[in-house]
Amino acid sequence: MAYNKPIPEPDPLGKPFWDGAKAGKLMLPRCVDCSRVHWYPRHICPSCHSDNIEWVEGSGEGYIHTFAVQHRAMGGWAEEAPFVTAYIDLVEGDRMFTVLRGVDPTKPESIKIGSKVRVEFEAATDDVSIAFWRVAE
Amino acid sequence: MPGELSRAAAIVGAAEANEIGYPKTPKTALQLHMEAIKNVSNQTGIPISRINGVFGAGWSSQIAEHLGLHPDYIDTTAVGGCSFEMHVHHALAAIHAGIIDVALVTHGENGYSQRATGGRGTGRARGADPWDPGSLYSNPYGVTGAPSNYSHAMTRHMHRYGTTPADFAEIAVATRQWATLNPRAVMHSKETHPEGGPITVETVQKSRMISWPLTLLHVCLVTDYGGAVLITSPEIAKSLPTKPVWIAGAGENMSHSNMLEMGDFTATSAAASAATAYRMAGMGPEDMEMAMIYDSFTVTAGITAEMLGLAPKGEGFTLWKSGKAAPGGSFPINTNGGGLSFNHSGMYGMQLLVEAYRQLSGTAEDGVNGLPGKQTSARSCVVNGTGGSLSTTGTLVLVAD
Repeated sequence: MAYNKPIPEPDPLGKPFWDGAKAGKLMLPRCVDCSRVHWYPRHICPSCHSDNIEWVEGSGEGYIHTFAVQHRAMGGWAEEAPFVTAYIDLVEGDRMFTVLRGVDPTKPESIKIGSKVRVEFEAATDDVSIAFWRVAE
Repeated sequence: MPGELSRAAAIVGAAEANEIGYPKTPKTALQLHMEAIKNVSNQTGIPISRINGVFGAGWSSQIAEHLGLHPDYIDTTAVGGCSFEMHVHHALAAIHAGIIDVALVTHGENGYSQRATGGRGTGRARGADPWDPGSLYSNPYGVTGAPSNYSHAMTRHMHRYGTTPADFAEIAVATRQWATLNPRAVMHSKETHPEGGPITVETVQKSRMISWPLTLLHVCLVTDYGGAVLITSPEIAKSLPTKPVWIAGAGENMSHSNMLEMGDFTATSAAASAATAYRMAGMGPEDMEMAMIYDSFTVTAGITAEMLGLAPKGEGFTLWKSGKAAPGGSFPINTNGGGLSFNHSGMYGMQLLVEAYRQLSGTAEDGVNGLPGKQTSARSCVVNGTGGSLSTTGTLVLVAD
């Protein structure tokens, strides 16, 4: 079935992330000078303002920082509502936003902040894959 | 010791468009601006031609052109609903520097009417840049608008401090009590809205789920609004028939633009903008007698009260729950009925300014904008606007003569 939700238009700055996603890898930008990983991709390191940025493969693991249950949505997401959105603290540092998988949106009390999550990718088109995070068993 | 800019300018008048809320016939943003500007000119006796600084959140050159003005100071700071508090800060500095002596801060927004006009006449830029990081790394995940973002902050606050949705619902309940004293409030009564009039925590919690933990009544209205204030030098302020409300302190700050960069989901930059404003004023939260706090959502108001030093961290909601913030309480908050129950056009910072001026100038209870019981005895008010996704803040300390 064709992917029916919003498909991002990859940008030049984030190309290594999008290429990585296509290959099933979580690629993250890291500052060569201060060694800090940041998200979203920057031209200049937000911590030390160096312009010496490299890309590294992340562990694909993280923890739920906070979440919400979306009961209203547009387009393809409307068909899935309610669904859970979450901010994920990456093991490597900084934070990503996602739709969380492996949770019951009708029981928000059962979803625990701090739970371990793992990344997975879904191919939206031949060129674009989207990162989702799933609660690890 | 107050700072150099403290009381270097005063708000000398504040007015609204003729029809706000849910107008029977659609309005354009421009009309809402112009009605408010005309009204504040009439109120103060300051001719429109005397304005030499124009401050608006995205339309300043069009506004000035429509008025036939060639201002010496043009400011289009547009960083969300707190832009208007920042405009006051900037106008204070520009007046103190001697660049201008009559500043217009204006707002017109047809949040309600644009549904009827197909999105025309809004006065706002439309369409997001697909490569903006906030779009690129958030939009694929189905979030739509402010409620779907702010709910994440409430979840984190509940986790960290043990608060509950019912605690935050108390904010909506007390704020609605104020709306029943404001005939211009959308939720004033059953006459103004089928769901208007007093509500309970149960009503709030049983309203439709929007983005857990936020139900509909935790969320602000979407209305039309036009509002304008005039700010002048002390010399001009003292020559006018209206009462001056002095800008004792002002500050602004930001923690992030898009929520991906929000470090602490239970805190905002209001702590920093308020610290600047209090320092300039030579006053502190203990000197404040009321507050006008941006309530795009109950959680916005609860967290902000903590940031402004009005309650300990995690306990902002208790100001409302205890009745202190409600009509007749010892520390009135959001006496117009708030963005939750009075009016929220998309950006709410002007509504805060207009009500703060009315309270401190003793004009909050004229039968049109307020019924008996709405006017407080407060002589000082802390005003805090919040813009974006709990992103940007502007804080003012205003005092009566």
